[in-house]
Amino acid sequence: MVDVPAGPLPTRVADSALRVRARRGGELLLALLKNPTTVAGLVFIVLLLGMAVFAPLITEPNTPDAYQMPRDWGALAVPPGSPGHPLGTTNVGGDVLYGLVWGARTSLRLSVIVVSLTVFIGVTVGSIAGFKGGKVDEILMRIVDVFLSIPELIFALAIAAVLGPSFRNIILALAVVFWVKYARIMRAQIIHVKENEYVDAARVIGDSSWRIYFKDILPNSITPVVVQATLDMGNIVLVGATLSFIGLSEAGIAEWGVLVSEGQSGISAGRWWASTFPGMMVFLWALGFNLFGDGLRDVLDPKTETSR
Amino acid sequence: MSLVGGIEPKAAPQARAAIASVRDLRVHFRSKVGVVHAVDGVSFDIGDGETLGLVGETGCGKSVTARSFLDLVPRPPGIKAGGAIMFRPHQACAACDGAGCAVCFDSGRAPESCHSCGGDGCERCGHTGQHTVDLMSISGSEMQSIRGNRIAMIFQDPGKALNPAMQIRDQVAEVFFQHRTADLLDDAGLFADGSEPGGSLLRRKAGLRTRRAEDVILSLPPFRSRRGRLMKAVETRIADALAETQIPNPRKVMDRYPHELSGGMRQRVMIAQALACDPDLLIADEPTTALDVTVQARILQLIRELQQRHKTSVLYISHDLSLVREVCDRVAVMYAGRIVEAAPTTSIFSDPHHPYTQGLLAAVPAASHERGRLVAIAGNVPELIDPPDACRFTGRCPFETSACLANEPQPAAVNGAHEVACFIHHPLPGADDAPSFDRRVR
Repeated sequence: MVDVPAGPLPTRVADSALRVRARRGGELLLALLKNPTTVAGLVFIVLLLGMAVFAPLITEPNTPDAYQMPRDWGALAVPPGSPGHPLGTTNVGGDVLYGLVWGARTSLRLSVIVVSLTVFIGVTVGSIAGFKGGKVDEILMRIVDVFLSIPELIFALAIAAVLGPSFRNIILALAVVFWVKYARIMRAQIIHVKENEYVDAARVIGDSSWRIYFKDILPNSITPVVVQATLDMGNIVLVGATLSFIGLSEAGIAEWGVLVSEGQSGISAGRWWASTFPGMMVFLWALGFNLFGDGLRDVLDPKTETSR
Repeated sequence: MSLVGGIEPKAAPQARAAIASVRDLRVHFRSKVGVVHAVDGVSFDIGDGETLGLVGETGCGKSVTARSFLDLVPRPPGIKAGGAIMFRPHQACAACDGAGCAVCFDSGRAPESCHSCGGDGCERCGHTGQHTVDLMSISGSEMQSIRGNRIAMIFQDPGKALNPAMQIRDQVAEVFFQHRTADLLDDAGLFADGSEPGGSLLRRKAGLRTRRAEDVILSLPPFRSRRGRLMKAVETRIADALAETQIPNPRKVMDRYPHELSGGMRQRVMIAQALACDPDLLIADEPTTALDVTVQARILQLIRELQQRHKTSVLYISHDLSLVREVCDRVAVMYAGRIVEAAPTTSIFSDPHHPYTQGLLAAVPAASHERGRLVAIAGNVPELIDPPDACRFTGRCPFETSACLANEPQPAAVNGAHEVACFIHHPLPGADDAPSFDRRVR
């Protein structure tokens, strides 16, 4: 038998628990940084997020509404390098650089709101279905099936069109479309995790179902949701830009899809800049989150094979 | 040859009523092809302080029987088809306040007198005078207060029975928070003077009922030191529980995650968690099957030692006869959802009465045997979908006759505590064609 030293403990409970968690977090980060494509993804994300955060420092915010693109009616469709417009302007005098920088903010706002809404709804619905099972599961999953049977973009487009063109309606439309994926993932995870013996073991020591869900089931089934959420951070901006491009967003808002659409009529005339730059931004944003999400999956869920 | 050296099977104290009595337990499962009678009329007693082995092959219903004690059989597809599990929970012994004395046989625990008759004996307590609950019919919250507190369970694979995302400390702490809230506050010296700043919060904390926001409040200066005392009290209890299962360096092991421990260590943690609240009954569902042989021996020895120190009753589920022989005081053999034979360990191994038990013992390979063909019982386990009124062993039994196909044998005593359900030993009165060991049919 080992003697346990009497007297005060060397560390406080909270401290040591924190240390272990921090160590695990550190290991996770190191594993992530070993993969060059993940690092590339992370670099894109950091650059774009930096742009969003420091937008007011890079370009003077427009008044009264900073998310509205400033119009320079004296300089329509000027090429990159023109005085006052380093990346040129669109056909209607919108500053491309301003649109890019503040568009990053718009995109961040869009993806964060939509992802948190959809994750919350999806995880709740999926958890109820998976945990309860039986008829509840059956009913919820049939509803999910209906949503899944309609192609994402078309469905979002239909909803946004019905609600009328505005940025808020785009958020709503995307939330309505994207939650079902999380419900599906969460339900599958829960059905798998709740069969584990540690769930029975928790029941055996007298835990309530509620507590078992938050302590044993949720932490062990959330990983794929985190990965999917990371990937969706990219996808949602892509779909959102598409909807704006079609014209379902407010006119003149600093958003990449809007910028592309303002520049598109000039492409045949050789005025490539107004569409190409925002297009690149959407591409980098989606690419960054996809690369990072894939890397995250490799680290968090080593059992999943990813095609290389 | 002894796998676990140095521990003699001991006689159970007979003065008290059985800790649990299973009566005509029936648990069925609904399936696409019909109702599976997984457990079909099982009755047995677990004596106070006794280790009862429940033996049988895969699918005979032994795990379902054990899981019924704690209402762990999923419903649906499970169906409670009938019967009762009368459990007699104990409380701290009044004579010695849990320290162990002659009155409580050194267990520190004593039966509660029956709530409805006060100890005179009535229908409710089965004329034992002891407080009795039927585990098959009590409410969810009553069951929750028994789980982990009065009845604990250890599982087959300790690798799967611990939450991979939680540190050992948090998993063991869970039991204390669930069932020992008052003791924890006591240990920490809280509420000694009657009141405490943040009192209701601390009470909730010790009973695992705080929310995230309340935890934040408790981490602020006026409550911080008190919370610290509470957490320290829990920590001491965890360390003691782990040390009891001979885990070296318990304060280091606490900070580990399950994957950082070996299989044997994990099983020790499981045992520590199970015995943390000094339960009356420990259900061990093949606790060593997933471990290799040397670790197996040590874990068995540990269970035996702890069982003797705490005088805990144990229901030991296994398919391994040699283990059961080492660990158990009494053995019940299950076949196809029924108990075919139950007897003290020495009696069942030296003098098995039921043809199935005989076949089972003959099939155990021994190290002293020549290499060659392994002995097996011919045939397969019968389908348990709507079984007919016949002995379940018909079709495989070497001695069966038409009498065995027409009726179902009931368990009855052959000598003293040795019970067997077989027409060879208890022929039906007036029935012709009674089976006999002299007449082999296959």
